[in-house]
Amino acid sequence: MEEGDRPGLSVRLDAVTKVYAVSGQELPALRGISLEINPGEVLALVGSSGSGKSTLLHLSGLLDRPTTGSIFYENRRVDQLSPSERAVLRSRRVGFVFQNFQLIPRTTALENVEMPLLYQGVPSRERHERARMLLSSVGMSDRERNFPSQLSGGQQQRVAIARALAASPGLLLADEPTGNLDSRSASSILDLLLTLKERSGMTLVLVTHDQELARVAKRLVRVRDGLLEGS
Amino acid sequence: MVLITLGLRALLRNPFRSLLTSLGIVIGVLSVIVLVSIGLGAKLLVLRSIQNLGPNLLVVIPGSVTDSGAQVGGGTDTTMTSEDARAVRTDCPDVWNASGALRTAAQIQSSHANWSTVVLGAEPNYLPVRDWHLARGGFFGKEEEEGAARVAVLGRLVVLRLFGLENPIGQYIQINHSPFRVIGVLSSKGQSPMGMNQDDMVVIPLSTLQSQIMGVTYVGVILAAAISPDRVDDAKREIRELLLLRHHIPPDGRPDFDIQALSDIAHTANRLSLILTVLLALIASISLIVGGIGILNIMMVSVRERTREIGIRMAIGARPRDILVQFLTESAALSFIGGLGGGLLGILSIVAIRSMLDWPAPIPWEGTAVTVFGATVLGVLFGLYPAWRASRLDPMDALRYE
Repeated sequence: MEEGDRPGLSVRLDAVTKVYAVSGQELPALRGISLEINPGEVLALVGSSGSGKSTLLHLSGLLDRPTTGSIFYENRRVDQLSPSERAVLRSRRVGFVFQNFQLIPRTTALENVEMPLLYQGVPSRERHERARMLLSSVGMSDRERNFPSQLSGGQQQRVAIARALAASPGLLLADEPTGNLDSRSASSILDLLLTLKERSGMTLVLVTHDQELARVAKRLVRVRDGLLEGS
Repeated sequence: MVLITLGLRALLRNPFRSLLTSLGIVIGVLSVIVLVSIGLGAKLLVLRSIQNLGPNLLVVIPGSVTDSGAQVGGGTDTTMTSEDARAVRTDCPDVWNASGALRTAAQIQSSHANWSTVVLGAEPNYLPVRDWHLARGGFFGKEEEEGAARVAVLGRLVVLRLFGLENPIGQYIQINHSPFRVIGVLSSKGQSPMGMNQDDMVVIPLSTLQSQIMGVTYVGVILAAAISPDRVDDAKREIRELLLLRHHIPPDGRPDFDIQALSDIAHTANRLSLILTVLLALIASISLIVGGIGILNIMMVSVRERTREIGIRMAIGARPRDILVQFLTESAALSFIGGLGGGLLGILSIVAIRSMLDWPAPIPWEGTAVTVFGATVLGVLFGLYPAWRASRLDPMDALRYE
């Protein structure tokens, strides 16, 4: 796929398992999952806590490696890449939004949004302009110079979304993005995510408990005890 | 590079801690520089006082008396005479001038004061040999020496004790109850390398001291000046051959004298003060290493504290190498800034020491540069392990870290 038009990224998981070793005991989190995520679709991963849905999301975003099985981005196998190569792929193709925002403390909203571009080596002027534009697209123009601690939860999540979109990723992974927000902020964040998705055509995968969020997704995947429950 | 600014910015986020961390390096660099400077100052002092004695000077001292097989000590033999001194003066081509000398302790009195000091018997050419001058008056000549005249030349301190601010020239002093006329005052010379105050001394003709005060014919020492510094070794050999001949010492026998060139002493003193300087620098380096361990400690804490931040950075695209560079920059900057601060404070301290203690402490510019550089390298070395740990974190674990 060409870099220029940045359409949605397609992801394929093939018989993926993940086993965590916790103090000598093996805890299986995923027990053989095969899943095709189509470019540009909105997919909701639902399931009770501990079902393995977050692990599935992190594996899809190359934050972690499967114990067995393989992961493909646009038919290219990516799970065996080195930590450094995976970092480069994350930086260029994947954006993350977390439940607890994960903004860097004592760093302004603008600097947080610039951060992914900085690791790509984008010159500072361009970085600035892009970050400003992104902050304005999430309605945070007037908070550029604020630190995360000076922002409400909803505002922090808006900054986090702007940061996730900094590199124009083909895949946006959101791990319970409204989980720490009140219902009013939650629905505005949801609107924002869907609007931005529509505008860019990227693939959006959401992990959620939120019924409303699950409802707007075109496709629902239920995870239970590390296995998919129909797709 | 951008990553370097990232590291620096992280330090500025916690300025007080950064300051405290680099304080260890500041103190380390400061102490290295100040101690090296003090060591170099000691070397200068030693060289200066040796220079004070005359750079071409050779000292001939009699050998030790062997008493029932036990040596009593250097310079106690009585086999050297004024004739030996005269022969050295006239028969050695590389000796420019020489004077025999003998000293004793004596009680000196003026009309209103009393002082116990050293009386030195010397020949008329003692002053040029020692490269010494008079502050006022004159020195005794050949007639006074041959006639064993009762004339005296006083050191500065003796004048002060006996006459205060009065002019002593022409006045009389008593040495062991014999009257001596004061004819001159020596210029101030300060301490000898052996720690004796050369201004606390009375000089009288050698013959007078030998015949009228001590009742002996030997000399305690022969001082000889070579014609130039590079002829000191030749002069030393000539004196040796001359005295061996005069004292009838067989070629395989043990000489009853010893010749020391001041340049040899200077050489030894030089080596000693170099060793002293290196030793001081080594001791000071220990505090530098302690400072480095401080950086290691703080960086370990910092990596642990910022685990989640590292996880976030990795999630949004930082490569392990980026994280490594960021943390290395932090420790290098801490130690470099600490090193610069220590260098600056060190130079200020040296200037203060110089003005307050009258100690010739030079500013070791090169040493300062080397120390600041070394401190920075040390910071990078001690920062390597924490930075490596940070770069090897697993992004998932780091993100979950509380």
